[in-house]
Amino acid sequence: MFVQGVMMGHVALGVLGILLAVALFMDVLNVSEKNIARIRKLSLAVSVLIILAYVVGGYWYVVYYGQDRDIIKAGQWAWAHNYFMEVKEHVFFMMLLLGIYLPIAVYRNLHPAEKKNRSLVLVVCALIILLGLFMEGAGGIIGKGLTMGLLGGE
Amino acid sequence: MENPPMDKYSAGFGLSLVVANFLNAIILIVKEKNAAVMSALKAALGHHWITHGLIVIAVFIILGFIFSIMKLETNMNACKIQKYIIWSVIISGVIIAGFFLPNLKVS
Repeated sequence: MFVQGVMMGHVALGVLGILLAVALFMDVLNVSEKNIARIRKLSLAVSVLIILAYVVGGYWYVVYYGQDRDIIKAGQWAWAHNYFMEVKEHVFFMMLLLGIYLPIAVYRNLHPAEKKNRSLVLVVCALIILLGLFMEGAGGIIGKGLTMGLLGGE
Repeated sequence: MENPPMDKYSAGFGLSLVVANFLNAIILIVKEKNAAVMSALKAALGHHWITHGLIVIAVFIILGFIFSIMKLETNMNACKIQKYIIWSVIISGVIIAGFFLPNLKVS
């Protein structure tokens, strides 16, 4: 149960991070004195959620994934590991760095009076959302690869 | 359109993000092509992925502070930095996805 909890925790943290990044994107489009405090809190929340998804997912990957990997590679969807997991585990670093950079851009470069500055934060948000959606899709394919492996290649 | 001004930390860490993104793709190719590098990364912290990740994060943070004190914001603006970030993500993403493309074969 602990292993499943760790896995689901990783997924939940990632999904929540993406959802809050979408909320942040919309808030930044309408940046003003009224919502700047919420924007700053949201940027921190997105950053913390992505870092936690990295730590929890990394722990699961390093400690538990080896058994799943062997099952996937022995099944008919071996490419679920050979391609999607390999790409996912390395593309994730870009999302992590964007997540760490997000509050820096928000706190230091986003001012309600200077709306031209918001495009940098919007770009970082959009990249986090797109990379996050790829992470979720790749995770689903890897999970299906495990199912195919357990079904004995049928 | 007038370029928006930029804070020194946004410029410094923005540029270090670009460098770290490219470094991430370079480390991937080097470790996958060179067994000695892969072994060294595994030996350093027990798993190549942990060492790889911590190198990328450390470079991002260290270069971020170095670039921030270099007054890059006088030569940089938000438009430039965001273009560099977008291209670094696209190019590094294509390198990573392309490198593993031969693995995408159905058995």
